[in-house]
Amino acid sequence: MTVRAWPVSLRLAVLGVVTAVALVAAVRLGAVAMTWSALADAIAGRGDPTTITIIRELRLPRAVQAALVGAALAMSGATFQALLRNPLAEPYILGVSSGAAAGAVLTVVTGWAARFVWSLPVAAFAGAVLSMLVVFRIAFNVGRTLDTRVLLLAGVVMSAFLAALIWLVLAFADTESVRSAIFWMMGSHATASWRSVAILAVCLAPSVVVLFALARPLNLFAIGEPTAAYLGISVERTKLVAFGTASLLAAASVSVSGTIGFVGLVVPHTVRLIWGGDNRSLLPCAALLGAAFLVAADTLARTIAGANELPIGIVTALVGVPFFVWLLRRPTGGLTT
Amino acid sequence: MFFGGRRREPDTPDEGTETRRRACRGAFALFAVVGLAACAPDRAGERARSSRTASADAPIELTDDAGNAVRLAHPARRIVSLIPSATETLIAIGAAGDIVGRTRYDTAPEVAALPSVGGGVDASVEAIVNMRPDLVIAWRSDSRGSTRERLVSVGIPVFVLKTEDTTDIFRGIASMGRLTGRDSAALAVATSVRRGLDDVRRAAAGRPTPKVFYLVYNDPPMTAGPRTFIAQLLSLAGAKSIFTDSSQLWPNVAMEEILRRDPDLLVVPAGAGVNSLDRLRQQSGWRDLRAVREGRVITVPADIVNRPSPIIARSARLLLEAIHPELRADSAGAPRPTSAPAAR
Repeated sequence: MTVRAWPVSLRLAVLGVVTAVALVAAVRLGAVAMTWSALADAIAGRGDPTTITIIRELRLPRAVQAALVGAALAMSGATFQALLRNPLAEPYILGVSSGAAAGAVLTVVTGWAARFVWSLPVAAFAGAVLSMLVVFRIAFNVGRTLDTRVLLLAGVVMSAFLAALIWLVLAFADTESVRSAIFWMMGSHATASWRSVAILAVCLAPSVVVLFALARPLNLFAIGEPTAAYLGISVERTKLVAFGTASLLAAASVSVSGTIGFVGLVVPHTVRLIWGGDNRSLLPCAALLGAAFLVAADTLARTIAGANELPIGIVTALVGVPFFVWLLRRPTGGLTT
Repeated sequence: MFFGGRRREPDTPDEGTETRRRACRGAFALFAVVGLAACAPDRAGERARSSRTASADAPIELTDDAGNAVRLAHPARRIVSLIPSATETLIAIGAAGDIVGRTRYDTAPEVAALPSVGGGVDASVEAIVNMRPDLVIAWRSDSRGSTRERLVSVGIPVFVLKTEDTTDIFRGIASMGRLTGRDSAALAVATSVRRGLDDVRRAAAGRPTPKVFYLVYNDPPMTAGPRTFIAQLLSLAGAKSIFTDSSQLWPNVAMEEILRRDPDLLVVPAGAGVNSLDRLRQQSGWRDLRAVREGRVITVPADIVNRPSPIIARSARLLLEAIHPELRADSAGAPRPTSAPAAR
């Protein structure tokens, strides 16, 4: 049986194992070297308190956060690509990342981020949602129904506007704020804590349920909106719910980890290239592969340069692009949405 | 340009061993004045033990420069400093033996052998935790304020330090003394630095005060704002910056505004290949500047004047001698610096 012909349950089982391996590697590897027995002891809460702190308070929440963000971004990207029938669609297409960045930069420049730890993720989330709502408002202003082309354009101009606003604010900011803001925009899981993981999980759970429920209607979108409508799908409501949910996933991810590009674009395409575009299999497979990919990328970013941590976006692109190009070049390859 | 700004930020320098060795010599002079000890690593520990104050084991409570109350059960004995200038201060007050980790920018012989935790703003939190520090000295803005939050949440005290002006530097010396139970050594260092600055001020008094442009970077032009220690040292050394009206710490300024304000003197912190004078001479704008045309450009070693640490006494002296070359100890009454030293 070729990989291509695997039933959905086998695909999920294999990807689940891959994700688990990535998680174990993430907890095992780091700037501080560790043996397997020390790792097991620390997880069980025995042994050296410093090691316990490193494993339980630093590595574990970080690995789990990377997994959640990877899953969220991959699902969000898969949904956008299905909705827009556009292979270039990615989670930040409705201005979510620039909205989040604008919120984050404002808290940094006003000094709130330094005073109140919670203010930055909250402002980032608010900025992302606000930007998304404005984009929807623009799109609805143009026609009575939601035209996806207008929505796309509105997202693009909104991002450009917010980016200009960010740089305007930073042009008058002091050097330290600029430094903080740039670090934030590059994306990182260094802030991960059990609290951020819990908040993220609470945001993610309902969104995942909604998107899985929308998998079949999304499949029908591939044929075209009118056909989907004939087949009994309430097109406008489905679009609105799917866009909103996918953007919320992206907003929640961005607010805890900054903008991490590439995952939402390439992970869904990889799954499609291997197993096709049926969203009922694509969404869960992309979620697992996204989780495994981001956990592995974060582990590499933490370990490849010793104690110096690389921005995770560098790793996702440097490792992911060659792999994706290889996948595209295979004779049976070809983009489908 | 913002990335450039990061790179150019004083006190996050990419200094080589050589410059550190020079710094060590500077510190040596300092110790000689206050009669502490020499700059030798093998004697650092000895000094560390001897110079603790009597109340060495009392709990310490101190507000850091970000307004957080920092509590230590006893004077810090395992310190990780993420700020190179704070590391210098710790070494100067005799606490080198209490430092357990360094950043990749710290290459002073006292700490060079210690394990590194990475950069100052993007340090590896788990590497820091693994060193079991009882105090971490950190920047106000690391990557998203995360380092401080993560360390505090696992019970490691973090002291945030501001390093903008000379007041910050003196407060930093006092804070480092308080946190390590070395108040008297810190006081001695501060007194000696203050005396050095006073000497420079006295020497500059009554002399002409040239209008200067302090060139932090040339493209786009960036200078030291009036609230920075560099601007304060310049004015101490008898020069007047042409951008005392800026509200920013490290303002980007327009080339035509520099031309309009027409400085008598261009002060260029040189080294690390950042500012090449030969290039300045060829760039439009810079080559039209009267100070450049007349060769009134002076260089000072960037790796010394950019450091907000006890070394500022030496920086002030260097600036004084560059601005008023007649005050140079080795060549009394030498002519004004012209293109000769600057053309290098």
